Amino acid sequence: MKDTVKYFDKLTFALLLLLALVGILLVYSAGHSSGETHYLKQIAWLAVSLLAFVAVFSLKTEFIFRKAFVIYLALLAVLVLQLALGGTIARTKSWFRLWGIGFQFSEFVKVPLAVYLAKLLAHIDQFDGRAYLKMIVAIFVPVALIVLQPDMGISFILCGFIPLAMLLKKARPTLVLITVLLAVAAGVIGWHSLLKPYQKERIVSFMDPAQYKDSTGYHIIQSRIAIGSGGLAGKGYLKGSQSRYQFLPARHTDFIVSVIGEEFGFLGVSMLFFAFFLVFYRHLRFKHQNDEEFYFVYLFNGLVLFQFLVNVSMAIGLFPVLGISLPFVSYGGSSLLSLFIGEAVIFRIKVNTYLT
Amino acid sequence: MYLSKRKLTPEFIKRAAILSTVLMVALFTSLFVAFWSIQVVNNEQYRLLAMRNITRTIGLPAPRGLIVDRSGRVLAENRINFTLYLVRENVEDLEKTIQRASFFSGKSVAAIRQVIDKYKNYAMFYRIPVRSNLPQGTVVFIQSRQEEFPEFEIGIEPNRTYPLAQRAAHVLGHMSEVSEAELAGLDPGVYRLGDRIGRSGIEKQYEPFLNGAKGKQTVIKNSVEKVQQISDVTQPVIGCTIVLTLDLDLQRAVEDLLGDENGVVGVMDLASGGILALASKPAFDPEAFSREMTDGEWQAIRNDLRNPLQDKFLQGAYSPGSVFKIVMALAGLQEKLITPAHAEFCSGSQAFYGRAFRCWKPGGHGTVNLFTALQDSCNIYFYNLGQRMDIDTIARYARMLGLGEASGIDLPNERTGLVPDSAWKLETFQQRWFPGETISVSIGHGQLNVTPAQLLKLMATVALHGRMPTPHLLQRIERQGKVVREFSPEFKRVDIAAEHFEQVIEGLFRVVNQEGTGRAARVPGVDICGKTGTSQIIAKDNPQYKRLTKEKRFMPHSWFVSFAPRRNPRLAMVVLVENGGDAGAIAAPLAGQIYRRYFADERHR
Repeated sequence: MKDTVKYFDKLTFALLLLLALVGILLVYSAGHSSGETHYLKQIAWLAVSLLAFVAVFSLKTEFIFRKAFVIYLALLAVLVLQLALGGTIARTKSWFRLWGIGFQFSEFVKVPLAVYLAKLLAHIDQFDGRAYLKMIVAIFVPVALIVLQPDMGISFILCGFIPLAMLLKKARPTLVLITVLLAVAAGVIGWHSLLKPYQKERIVSFMDPAQYKDSTGYHIIQSRIAIGSGGLAGKGYLKGSQSRYQFLPARHTDFIVSVIGEEFGFLGVSMLFFAFFLVFYRHLRFKHQNDEEFYFVYLFNGLVLFQFLVNVSMAIGLFPVLGISLPFVSYGGSSLLSLFIGEAVIFRIKVNTYLT
Repeated sequence: MYLSKRKLTPEFIKRAAILSTVLMVALFTSLFVAFWSIQVVNNEQYRLLAMRNITRTIGLPAPRGLIVDRSGRVLAENRINFTLYLVRENVEDLEKTIQRASFFSGKSVAAIRQVIDKYKNYAMFYRIPVRSNLPQGTVVFIQSRQEEFPEFEIGIEPNRTYPLAQRAAHVLGHMSEVSEAELAGLDPGVYRLGDRIGRSGIEKQYEPFLNGAKGKQTVIKNSVEKVQQISDVTQPVIGCTIVLTLDLDLQRAVEDLLGDENGVVGVMDLASGGILALASKPAFDPEAFSREMTDGEWQAIRNDLRNPLQDKFLQGAYSPGSVFKIVMALAGLQEKLITPAHAEFCSGSQAFYGRAFRCWKPGGHGTVNLFTALQDSCNIYFYNLGQRMDIDTIARYARMLGLGEASGIDLPNERTGLVPDSAWKLETFQQRWFPGETISVSIGHGQLNVTPAQLLKLMATVALHGRMPTPHLLQRIERQGKVVREFSPEFKRVDIAAEHFEQVIEGLFRVVNQEGTGRAARVPGVDICGKTGTSQIIAKDNPQYKRLTKEKRFMPHSWFVSFAPRRNPRLAMVVLVENGGDAGAIAAPLAGQIYRRYFADERHR
């Protein structure tokens, strides 16, 4: 126990905690003018997430990877159940109410999928066609179930596992080419059959926001105005007019970066980014006991990085608005809980190095 | 499944860590650059955009300038009015809002939709005027429950009012809302949709002066709530005061004397050409247009056969009848076709070009010269004069004396009337002029038609022996007590010898003072000169004439055009009583009473 505390990566954990606390402050700022109390819920979710962190941290990693396939199957079952019974919020079935609390189960796919993929990769000697197919199926089944809800944001983020896995396994050029072709095909099919008009419009409006300034382009334009008007030092906490006067849409979730950009300026944004960078960077420095651990850290850390990049690019109009939140900072209990569970596994792996 | 043993080499792991770090540094660097570019390099641009998001500039309507008479008595002013505005950006449920707007304004749901549609190209925060002159009760109701109706605003604004109701209505004119089509041609900084603009009379003529300068205030708002903070207020500036030449006392007298008759009275001050009184009946209440008129009210005004909106002084076209004999006499004298002593014999009827033309007096006037012909308005004398003059000469003199063209008075929408000549006939009917037609024209009938304004100008020119004044209503324009523009009288010289005017005046003097047709206008102590005229609605040779003219609407219009006193004339006057019958019995005594009133007033002695 003493050693566990000794070798625990306290700095990185402090950074994560800091991100979550900053998130609560920003969620408060985003909602206080309209009397929203999301920040209270977020505080509660943070408490739950920390408990879950402790619980998962105390599990042996061996146990987690042994049960990988079972957890993965259980997850698929939940997703199917959710499709059948899920309540509808904002035109999607991505919300699942349990004991009066709304859960967004698609968020919880991240960790088990990373665990299962890590195990797959660890057992593959040669990344050949067979192995490739296995991996694609493992990712696409949950993704497809989530697409049906539909939750395009998380589906898109989960697809980030594919390039990550291929980079880690040094996939051959032919497989890379096949993946690119598959992505194009999925894009074309998705565009014509899966995407609803409003979703298409979001993607198109990203190319020319001014033309859609009254509908979906509005988000991008207002977000850029918020960030740009923040300047070097920002307008001050709770003083962002874009946020306070409610020009900024989804400001407590997808556009939380715009709130920090407006109220704390470039300096605030830089500090936030630097905190993220430190977390990602420090997670790469560890010694593993088995290959599953190595792959898991890279997959999960990589996925969080991917989500971070997509969210931030979205806020300044470099990426289409897909409904992707900023990890640890944005409002959203399921996301926070899922991320802290994943982090618990990473922290455990990092401690293991020194304990054995 | 078993857990794999470590198979990854330390080199691989090291390379993975290094590559990942390099990649991350590259990605984070690009993010820093992107945010630096937006937040620091382009900060100014986005700061302005953010500012524009939260500021709303609202126009503050300016009170319209006053219209006063020559001694400063108010004819048109402003009073406080409550306007109901709808702001679309605060609408939660449009259908509910439309229902409410209909309830508050008393307008139909369809009408409300129409109003909203009209403003569809305006910014969402633009205040759409739904109804002005909102009743106090509604104002209190909405204001006390403002929280419930965030989409409605009550504006407290000046609105046009005419304290004397129908008095001088045609001079003052009326106002109404500008249309979208008109706005295209107007300065957007001055007029916006929902504003009112002068439509007729002085309100239209001096619109640029009367219309004050709008103020504005900048309000900081959020995207869903109400006013947060007001800054940067520019107060509106009231429009200029228009001082008219009208004399309210005389105006009242004239209107009261005209009573219920339909017709026109215009009185001109001969020293300047300024109009002292101008009445056109029936009149209308200009304020009805400043209020929100109901469809019923509007239809009643539009469908009134008596056409109350028409200013008969400028827009009524009438045959001048015997008043035209003045033009004939002047033309004959100037063309040396007659001298005052020239005589004709009137037997009551005379044949011209194979057709009998009658005098109005069946028994005839016997031998008449210029003076007696004017005095008794003998037709035969002027038929003979007409026969010796061709139509183009008559038309030339008529135009020289101001007929057939706008009088130039400073009021909008003036008609020109018609002076026929051979070229006109050829162009209009592709026919040459028949000499027989000239005979009718020479006593003011035929195609000839004139406005009362033209005859007033004609009589003023006669009174002034050929100095032709431009009639006008504007005395001066004042901006905040300072005179901006003062009217300077304009006179034009008519190319007819002054002695001929004196000879005609002798005839006109006899009309009133020597038992002539206008003797009923006589006022002891005032030398009035004038000419009667009767303008037939139905031709006298119509077999039904006697029966029909018992009905008021078929009775002839009666003219009396005059000036006084004979020496150093001060006033010129036109009186037209529609369907008045015999001019000598109706128009002339009315004019006499007006002179009596005017000269009885000490100030005018």
